Amino acid sequence: MSNIYKQKHELWLSITFASFAINDEDIKARLYDFSQIAFRHMKWLGSNLLESGNNYDYYRDMTLLKRDTVFEIVEALVKEIEDIRADYPDTILGERVKTDDTYLLEYLSQLLKNKTNNKEITAFNMQRKWLDKNLAQEQIDALTLFLFEESYKEYELILIYAYMQARTKETLHFNVFQDLIDESHFHLKSFGNMMAKLGILALPRELHEMTYIVKDLKQFVIDGIAEEEAAKVMCKELSDAIKDEELSKFFDFINYQENYHIELMKKLL
Amino acid sequence: MFENVQMPEGINSETLEHLMNPKNYGKLDDANGVGVALDEKTKEYVIFYTLLDGDIVKNAKFATNGCQDTVVIGSMFSDMIIGNDTEYANGAIEKMHEKLGQLSAQQQICADIVFSSFIASLKNYENIKNGMDEELHLFKMKDSCETTNMENGEENE
Repeated sequence: MSNIYKQKHELWLSITFASFAINDEDIKARLYDFSQIAFRHMKWLGSNLLESGNNYDYYRDMTLLKRDTVFEIVEALVKEIEDIRADYPDTILGERVKTDDTYLLEYLSQLLKNKTNNKEITAFNMQRKWLDKNLAQEQIDALTLFLFEESYKEYELILIYAYMQARTKETLHFNVFQDLIDESHFHLKSFGNMMAKLGILALPRELHEMTYIVKDLKQFVIDGIAEEEAAKVMCKELSDAIKDEELSKFFDFINYQENYHIELMKKLL
Repeated sequence: MFENVQMPEGINSETLEHLMNPKNYGKLDDANGVGVALDEKTKEYVIFYTLLDGDIVKNAKFATNGCQDTVVIGSMFSDMIIGNDTEYANGAIEKMHEKLGQLSAQQQICADIVFSSFIASLKNYENIKNGMDEELHLFKMKDSCETTNMENGEENE
C-alpha cells in the first residue's frame, strides 16, 4: 500500500485538527483552507495510484498530541510537512503539491515570527465548559456524546464517499459523492470546532476496511439513508435538549441538511 | 474497572479519556484469532483481534463502525484482558455484564457485540488449531437486539 497516500492522509488530518484547535479565527480559517487543499492532494494522489494499477487504504499511524500552545502545534506541522516533501512523486502533481506545501510553510514561518500568535490551546483541556453559554451538565453530556458520535460519522462518510468516487465511472454518482463529501466536510468542521470549544478535541478513530470497502452500493445506500434518518433524530433530540437558542437553531439547521442528504443518496439507487 | 463508568447520565474523566483516545483500537497484524460480531439489521460490527500464547491473551485490538458506547466498552474490555488468561477474560465478561446491568438496553447490546466478537476470535483460534482454513469467525447478532444463540445462529465466513 502507498506510503505517500498514508502520509498525506495524516497531514490532511493534522492541518484540519490544527485549525480546529487554534482559537484565533484568522489562523483557524487559513489553516482550514490549507486542509482542504491537502484533502485534494490526497484525492489526486489516490487517483494517480489507481490509474497506475496500484491501490491505497485508510490505514494511519498517528496520535493527536495534546499541545499547550499555538506554536507547539505550528512547529509540529512544519516538521510533518518537511518530512513528507521528499516522498512526493516526481510528476506534475508532485510539483504542484510541493509548491502548495512551500507556500503553507511560508505562512507557518510568518506565524512563528509573531510572538503574539502564541496563545494557549484550550482544545484538549477536557473541561467541557462552553464559556459564553449557560448549559446544564446533562446538556453538556448530551452534546459531548453527540459530537463524538457525529465527528466520527462525518470523517467516515468523507472517506467512504471519496473511496467510491475514485472508483466510479458514472458521472451522476461522481457528482453525488462530491456533494456528500462537501457536506460532510462542513459538518466535520462544525463539530470539530465545537469539540475544541469544549476542550474535548480528538481524532476520529481509524476506519477499518470492513467499513469503507462497499461491495453492494444499493444496500449501502439503503443502510445509509436509515443512518441519516437516525442522525436526524439525534439532531432533533439534541436541539430539543439544548436550552440555548443559538445552538438549538444550529442543530435544526443540520437536521434539515440531513434531509437533503437522503434525497442526494436516493439518486444513487 | 467499570465501577466509575456512568453512561449516559454522566461522563466521568475515565470515560472521556476512552472516548478521546480509545485503547487497543485498530488492526493487529499478528493476531492468531480474528472474530467478528455483526448486527445485520444496523450493519454495525465489531472485529476483534486476539494474539494468544497458549491460554494467555498476549495482545488484543478491536475496530468497529458502531457507536461511542461500543468504542468505550471495547476499549475498556480489551485493556482489561491483555496479559491475562482466557479464563480471566471469560470471567471479565461475566463481571462486566454484572456492571453493565445498570445500562440501557441499547448499551447492553453494545456490550454484547463487543463480547461476542471476542468469543468469535477465540473460536477462530480454536478452529485454526484444529486444521480449519478460516480467515475469521463470524457471529451474527440476532436482529439488532439480542446476541444470537451461538450454537444455532453462528455462521462462518
